[in-house]
Amino acid sequence: MLGGIVGPLVLVAAAVLVPAAIARVVRPLLRAVVLLALPIGISVVVINLLFFPAGQQVLFRIGPVTATAEGLVFALEVVARLVAISGAISLFYLTTTAGDLTIDLERRGVAPRLAFVASASVQTVPAMVDRAAAITAAQRARGLDTEGGIGARLRGIVPIVGPVILGALGEVEKRTMALEARGFSRPGRRTLLWHPADSSAQRVARWLMVLAIPAFIAARAAGWLA
Amino acid sequence: MTDIRVEGLVHVYDGGVSALDGVDLSVAAGERVALIGQNGSGKTTLVRHFDGLLRPTSGRVLVGGVDAAGRTVAQLAREVGLVFQDPDRQIFASTVRGEVEFGPQNLGLRGAALRSAVANALTATGLEKAAETNPYDLGTSRRKLLALASVLAMRTPVLVLDEPTTGQDMRGMAIVEEVVAAVSAAGRTVVAISHDMRFVAERFDRVVVMRQGRIVLDGSPAEVFARDQWETLRSTFVEPPLAAVLGDRLGVGPTPTDAALVSAMKSRG
Amino acid sequence: MLTVQGFSYRHAGATRPSLMDLDFVLGDGEVVGVVGANDSGKTTLCLVLAGLAPRIVGGTLTGRFSIDGADAQALRMHELPALVGIGFDDPATQLSGVAATVFEEVAFGPANMGVPRDELIARTAGALESLAISHLAERDPARLSGGQQQLVAIASILALRPRHVVLDEPTAQLDPSGTALVGDALERLAGQGVSILVVEHKTDLLARVANRVVALDGGRVVLEGPARDVLGDAALVDLGVAPPSEVRLRRAFVAAGLDPARLEAARA
Repeated sequence: MLGGIVGPLVLVAAAVLVPAAIARVVRPLLRAVVLLALPIGISVVVINLLFFPAGQQVLFRIGPVTATAEGLVFALEVVARLVAISGAISLFYLTTTAGDLTIDLERRGVAPRLAFVASASVQTVPAMVDRAAAITAAQRARGLDTEGGIGARLRGIVPIVGPVILGALGEVEKRTMALEARGFSRPGRRTLLWHPADSSAQRVARWLMVLAIPAFIAARAAGWLA
Repeated sequence: MTDIRVEGLVHVYDGGVSALDGVDLSVAAGERVALIGQNGSGKTTLVRHFDGLLRPTSGRVLVGGVDAAGRTVAQLAREVGLVFQDPDRQIFASTVRGEVEFGPQNLGLRGAALRSAVANALTATGLEKAAETNPYDLGTSRRKLLALASVLAMRTPVLVLDEPTTGQDMRGMAIVEEVVAAVSAAGRTVVAISHDMRFVAERFDRVVVMRQGRIVLDGSPAEVFARDQWETLRSTFVEPPLAAVLGDRLGVGPTPTDAALVSAMKSRG
Repeated sequence: MLTVQGFSYRHAGATRPSLMDLDFVLGDGEVVGVVGANDSGKTTLCLVLAGLAPRIVGGTLTGRFSIDGADAQALRMHELPALVGIGFDDPATQLSGVAATVFEEVAFGPANMGVPRDELIARTAGALESLAISHLAERDPARLSGGQQQLVAIASILALRPRHVVLDEPTAQLDPSGTALVGDALERLAGQGVSILVVEHKTDLLARVANRVVALDGGRVVLEGPARDVLGDAALVDLGVAPPSEVRLRRAFVAAGLDPARLEAARA
């Protein structure tokens, strides 16, 4: 019964925590996983614990609702998978720099523009955050109360979000011009400044991971990991 | 009337960057002070303490004799109006009038008092005919004047301007200078950060020079731009106004402004 | 050499043309300053010369624009960066957004153009050095001050080694030391034979680096000539352009009945 919970968690430990430890990002990884999986995880547990339709084995009752063991197990299975997925995604973002990603994509033949979009979107976020901070400061200096109650904060939405969006949109043309002026749309390959560091160990690990997918699917189909 | 006093102000940003390294400054009510120095010397960090946008890591900031620590930014904004350098990081209303109304409305002005504050601010910045225009249909220099108007309308006892003349053409520059003169004549305090030495020498009574988070010079334009301070000024990459340099070479110094040089040459004969 | 003849340009959706019947030449190795009130067409002129208008910004144009004798309109966008580089006044929007370090940022342009790796690295290092920002090479461009970002943006243009460079208010957000650095870089560039067009409010800077100055008003050229003459022209004030400090002082002397020659003597 617990196979569905242990499986994903073992996977997380092996495939996510070990590389995270090597890359020394375990604490940020755990934080990211909690942030990503916790909100959904809590609601999944509550709903399934109390309202699982096929529940038979009763754990306790609260008024009209019944908590069942089957519900709990199901919920924990879902949460375990959530943890595995969010762990993998977080590990990727924590260990990949935008530059490495672009260069590697281009090296493998992805069009520079696509690679650019993948990376540039990551860097837009800090720029927008800075912009929002500058705008908030300017509006506060004109008396906008951001330290007050909920009403005050709601009134602050338009004066802050408005210029952030307008500014971001207005910048699009400027940014496009600057990029075009630097040869961005030239057909053909760009020169790559460096190659991301790779090693045969990492290559082997990647192949193992890729081969593991059909292996796990086959194992599951054969009934070994139910 | 409101004075500003800063005592032993230290500010260290998150990440350990020290921006202010123990600043002591007293600005009396009604003074016109120019704050100059290289980018990164701490000028913007300093003025952001005046309205509470930044809080001291150590030291005190007293606005109108009262410690700023106990007051919110919204409260301090009644006394200290800060005009930022980039109007596009502020403008959100669909009309010039709407933009100028924002500040005074936050301070609780309504009805006739609000209309009057807005009208005066628009007239002072030459925007009265553009009241119903969309701010983004104005050119960049008029948008800067709009940002100025939006703070002027708050009628704060202290007005702080961050680089008011950057990117302005002559007309915009003249309006900024008139505003500084008018605000000061009404007894209000003006503090301006600027790189324009002519503007500084001609329009301000007092010049404060900063370098690496400290004040290195503080005096009248004639004192600060006098020959014996040039070495200090140049160490902060500030070049004295041409009138001061020529006045020294002609032996009639200190003459920080064109007018001072002309008058000194005339009296020498 | 950039040549513009009988050129008119109207932005998409604008009621009036931004440039009207303009004749303009940027000769090899010269530094031309462009002055005028805001909205006199200076920025539009820069966009046209860099090929961004109408290609990227849209709009209608009439007239001829040629680069080194060839019709510029026949060129494709990606053929232009090696011919005409352009810099704007807002440094943040000029950053590519994908470079983790200043070095990568400056290398972005030539990398796009397929410059071979060794030359790419040499050009990038050279561009950083000519603006005295080699010490910023490993820094994150997004975390620099506005002034530093502007120097990075200019270095990024230099790394493309265009024969013509157009700069729209490059020192607008710089402090005096940054302005001086840009002035030094412009002088160095001009010495290497690059043609430079620089739009500026700071007429003191133009007095220092420009050979010729052109004044625009309402999209037309209204004054043109050697820098000294145009910057000393009384009509500049009516055009909303602040004259250089030396010109201002000279006028103050003359108005007060003092001999301006004494000023010249003191400046020597």
